[in-house]
This record gives sequence, structure tokens and C-alpha cells, in this order.
Amino acid sequence: MAIPLKYNLRNLLVRWRTSVATLLGIALVVAVFVMVESLAAGLKHSFVTTGDERNLLMLRKGSTADSNSQIGRMQVDRIRYMAGIARQADGRPLLSAESVILVSLARASSQGEANVLVRGLEPAGLELRPQARLVEGRMFRGGLREVICSRQLGERFSCCQLGRSFRAGKNQFKVVGVFDAGRSAYDSEIWMDVNEARSVFDREFFSSILFRPENEEAAARLKKTIEDDRQLTSRIIREPDYFKEQTMTAGPIKWFGDFLSWIMSIGAVFAVMNTMYATIGRRIREVGTLRVLGFRRREILISFLLESLFLGLIGGVIGCLLALPLNGVATGTINLQTFSEVAFQFRVTPDLLIKGMVFSMFMGVAGGFLPARVAASTPVLQALKSV
Amino acid sequence: MTLAGFMARNALRNKRRSFLTIASVALSLFLLCTLRTGLREMTNPASMEESACRVAVRHKVSIANVLPAKQRDLIKRVAGVASVMPLTWYGGVYIDEKHFFSRFAVDPAEAFRQFGEMKISPEHRDAFIKKKTGCVVGIKTMERFHFKMGDRIELAGDVWPCDVALEIVGTYRGGIDETILFFNHKYLDEASGNRGVVGCWWVLADRVDSVPRIIAEINRMFRNSDAEVLAESERAFQMGFVSMLGNVTLLIGSISGVILFTMFLVTASTMAMAIRERFREIAILKAFGFRSSDLAGLIVAESLLLAMAGGVLGCGGAWLMFRLVPIDTMTNGFFPIFEVTPGIMAQGMGIAMALGFFSCLVPAWNALRLSVVDGLKILD
Repeated sequence: MAIPLKYNLRNLLVRWRTSVATLLGIALVVAVFVMVESLAAGLKHSFVTTGDERNLLMLRKGSTADSNSQIGRMQVDRIRYMAGIARQADGRPLLSAESVILVSLARASSQGEANVLVRGLEPAGLELRPQARLVEGRMFRGGLREVICSRQLGERFSCCQLGRSFRAGKNQFKVVGVFDAGRSAYDSEIWMDVNEARSVFDREFFSSILFRPENEEAAARLKKTIEDDRQLTSRIIREPDYFKEQTMTAGPIKWFGDFLSWIMSIGAVFAVMNTMYATIGRRIREVGTLRVLGFRRREILISFLLESLFLGLIGGVIGCLLALPLNGVATGTINLQTFSEVAFQFRVTPDLLIKGMVFSMFMGVAGGFLPARVAASTPVLQALKSV
Repeated sequence: MTLAGFMARNALRNKRRSFLTIASVALSLFLLCTLRTGLREMTNPASMEESACRVAVRHKVSIANVLPAKQRDLIKRVAGVASVMPLTWYGGVYIDEKHFFSRFAVDPAEAFRQFGEMKISPEHRDAFIKKKTGCVVGIKTMERFHFKMGDRIELAGDVWPCDVALEIVGTYRGGIDETILFFNHKYLDEASGNRGVVGCWWVLADRVDSVPRIIAEINRMFRNSDAEVLAESERAFQMGFVSMLGNVTLLIGSISGVILFTMFLVTASTMAMAIRERFREIAILKAFGFRSSDLAGLIVAESLLLAMAGGVLGCGGAWLMFRLVPIDTMTNGFFPIFEVTPGIMAQGMGIAMALGFFSCLVPAWNALRLSVVDGLKILD
């Protein structure tokens, strides 16, 4: 017969001061774990949800991001009228030659500046990115130093809000529209007309070409033709795959989170051990009594293990609750590949919460195991005699 | 038995608990020291005295925009400028991303004059000036990849649309970062088709006093030109990168706070347990005639002893570990240096002391209020 759970629960309540301290210890470790992991998850999410499977992106061979890729005018002209590229309604190829420029802007909240990615694109570029919708204001017009900014960017850089303007080099740019790209990586960008971008920022080269082949077969053929062409020295990559490559930015954060939670969890396990040793030490006579009543060693071991598992479980729940409000909070950091600001949100996913709970239960059991074994293995007489 | 001996025995009477307490304090302080060091390396990069005389000039739009090479002569003419050279981030890939270290194109004749803290032998310097495909590699990178003089290093261009093949003609020691590779800007120019552009200008002032004036003059000189520049002190330039990291500072700061709080909770509850167990003894000591203030002193001292032991282990452990572990290779060059400074260790010890003191306050107070009769009645 198992020892009733009530015995353990009541004990946790009776010694509530120690229980609370231990619980909070575990809760905070879990909270830190979930928070850091949700940061990495949010960053990753913004990259993996970007792009359209059907689109291909052309970059200079060897470049790691469009911000450091260069494609000459001649190359653009050669690609534009290749067979197999889908058409827009008006018959022109569904292709956008784009120019990416990093512009240093002042942050809204803190002091300091950050690089923001300005993308010059052709009208087809908007059609190629159905993820992004204009939600406020109107579209930019070429030649007027007009731009549209993502709404998320506006939260981090006040000069990117509707009606505001910012200086880059000699020019003043006016924000005439706000778009929403559904929390994707495009939500960290400013868009304007490509020809204007090239002339204003004095760019001889384009950065990349985004286009949509008619079908899968045409995609494979175009990829082969372009990559085999020695003169083009380019590589072709599917748009979503390009952004997946950039998730490595989340790498250091995840590494940091793992490092942090492991060391903190060892500390928490020590705390649980301390608590359990103390509580068992004081109840050793009770343990003896339980044995006399006929409970077996294994049942006592399980009973105390359950007690520390409770500690872990409740701590885990509190920790997850503490981390939950962070879900959706906007933040930003530097994209290590493009060297520009990436705006994203913390994402506390159910998956992460489960991980946090498993983690907390692990801490409870790991901390309770040795003390519970001591309790179970103390001889009956010795236990009864101890003061 | 002396008072100190009594205290030490008390602290160690429950060896398991003392060990667990010391270990958890040590772990927390290890983490704190690590976080503080990481934060410091990221947000407050070390700098040298020599740095005060240097000015960085970048494109005003952003660091990723290039500057025209023709600006060099104009900057040279500014009064008080002792030396001007291009400093261009080449980046590139050596074997793969894991083999990361910084690579810059510079003017070989000026580079080690400007970076005076990086020591190079005259022979190496001359060889660097003479050989266009030569490069100078910091001693740490030389050791990391077991490079020898005359070795060839092939870099694939990522930021620049050209590859370069370099030969090691020298090495340097000293300065903040001993991992950098420098090569000849002329070689980069040729390899990239002589576009006449550079990443940044690096300017050395003749005296520290002239730096503000040089900055103002350079900024004014190119205002409203095709390539407006932002001249700033080398220090300000470095801090610009820090600001790009975003909310990292806040994040690490709040995590440190959470760790501190957790540590406090755990230690306080352990101390409470340790003292509650001894209420009877404390009552007996009181009955002997020990005064409450003596007993309070004993309790505080014991708690301090435990916390400080944890502090020494934690801070010392962090110091030792980051001396022995090659953190630059482990983080793929993200942290070229990772030094737990005496200042950070002192801070850690201060925290340990405060922790020891505050965590025993409540239990000590309870013990003192205890009347002898109540204390003796306690059985448990």
C-alpha cells in the first residue's frame, strides 16, 4: 500500500517557509530558462516563417546575405527575360531586382543607433511577397524620397512611424505607409523604389534578384542555367531557405540559455537537496513509525520522491506563469549575417512550457533522490531512537 | 576551545548541508562573474591608452557603406593629423565559419604606427610593407591554427566579391586583441577591380588634445559631399557596435538580478534551518550567561564564513576556468578575450558578503528574542 499523498502535501504546508524558498528557487530557474529560450524561439520564428516556397533568390556566389551581395546591371537584364519566369497580369516578368542598403538610425527607447535594412524593390517585389500588406498610409512613389516601413520597426525606431521622416546621407526620407509582414523577417525592413535607392545611395550594383518561375520544372531548369553560367557567378536559393540560413543568429542566444539553465539548475538541485535532507532529518522518527506500521522501504522512497517532485512541479508552474507575460513582447538584436537590426517578439510556445515543466520535475527528482534514499535505508530502531 | 574554533565547528557540524550551501553560493557567484564578464566584454570593450589618439571615420549612412579613396589626401591635410590609413573589414571565410577571426585590409606602412600597442619586429614590418600578398597575423591566431611563417592562407570573399590568397610574413603581440589578421589594402584593391573604395579611415592625431578638433573638421569637410562621413573617437566607434546588440544588456542585467534573488532565498532558508535546529543550544548558551549580542555575532560570523567560502570558490573558479578554457575558440571568436578582472571578482566577493550578512538576519533575530525557558522546552 502506498503512503497517502496527503502526508507529503501537509508536510510541505507545515514547513511552508522552507517550501516557499525552495519553490521560488525552482520557479525562477524555470522562468529564466523559458525566457531565454523564448527569445531564441522568437528570433528563429521570424526567419523560418519568411518567404514563399515558389520564389527563387539570386545572390552573388560566396555572399552570405543580400546585404553583401552584388549583381551587375547586365546580369539583371540577362535574367529578366529568361524563359520560364512567371508573368504579372500586365505581361511583364514576375521578377524584382533589388538593392539593399544599411542605414544607421536612432533607436526609439534607448540611446544609440542601429543599422536598419532599407530594401529598394520593383513593383513586382510586392506581388512576390504576399506576406506583406500595407496597413496604413499609402504605397511609396518613385522619385519623391518616399518609403514604407514595417509596423514592428516603428515600435523600435520612432522615425519609422507614419508621417515621420529620417535622414540618411544627404537625403530626407518620408514615411508614407506602414506595412505588416506577419512577423516575418521583412518586418525588420524599410522599403522604397529600387531605382531611387540606387541613385540616392550611389549604388552601381543591385544586391539580389527575387523571381518566381512558372513551375517546379522551370525552377530547376533556371537554377541550373544560371548557376552553370560562369559569367553570372551567382547562386540560386529558394527564398524560405535563404532566411532559414540566417537562423544561426539565434545560435548564441540558445547556447547562452542552455549554459545558464544548466548551471542554475545544479544550484536549484542543491537547494532541493538541502530542503529534503532537512525535512527528512526532522521526520526520521516518523519514518521509523511508518516502517513499524508496515510500510516498506520502497514505498517510503517513492513517497519522499513524490514530495520533492511536487516541489519541482509547483515551482515549474510558477516559473512558467512568470515567463508567460513575456509572450509577444517586442525586442530586437543584430542579425549576425546581414549586420542589421532584426525586430522580433518573444515566443513562449506550448512546447517551451512543456520543456520548462519537464526541467522543473527533473530538478525536483534529482534533488530528492539522495535524501529519500537515506530515509528509506535508515534502520527502524535507529530511526525511532533518534531525537 | 577558542571562539573562532567554536564558530568553525558550528559551521561544519552538518557537513552535507554546509557543502550544499557553499556549493550553491559558489555556483551562483560563478554564474554572476561569468555574466558580468560577458557583459563587460560586449558593452565595455577594453581599450588602451594609445586608443585616445585615434579617430575612426565611417560613412554617415551606416558602417556598411564604403568611402571613396580620394578622401585620404584631404584628411591628411587636416592640421594635427599624424597618419591616415584605410581600415577595411574584409571578413571572408577561412575553411568555414567555425574558423573565424577578424581580417582587415590596411596600409602596411601605417598600421603598426597607428596601433602602437601591437608590437611587431622591424623585420616582420618591412616584409609586410614589401610583399603585397603578405599578411600579419596576431599571435593568438597563429597559435590557434598552428600557423608558421610563410604559410599560405586562402580566404573566400563573403562581404567582398573577391577571394584573396595571403602569405604570413609576420606576427604581432600585445594590444587588446591578438587574433587579428592584417593584409595589404592594395592587394584588396587589385583583387576587387580597383573600385577606389575603402571601408573606414583610421586617423592618428599628434596629441590627445587635437582629437576633438580633428573630428569636427573632418565631419565638416565632407558635409554635403557625395560621401558624408561620421568621424568619432575610436572609443565611440566601438560603442556603436555595442548599441547594435540591442537589449542584450537589459536581458543579462535582469538575469543577474534573478540569480541574485534566488541565491538569497536559498541561502536564507538554509541559514534559517541551521539556526532553528540549534534553538535549544542557543538557549543553553544564554543560560550560561552569553549575552545576546555575542550570540548574534556568532550567528552572523558563521553565515558570513559559509557565504564567503562559496564566494571564494565561485569567483576564483570563474577566474581559473576562463584562464584555462580557450573561450575565443569555443565561441568561434565571438569573445576574443574573456577576462574575469579583479574588479569583477571583488564585486562578487562583496555580493557574497552581503548575502552572508542579510540571509542570517531573520533567523538571528528569532534566536535572540527567544527566552531561555522557551528555548529549553523545544524538543524537535
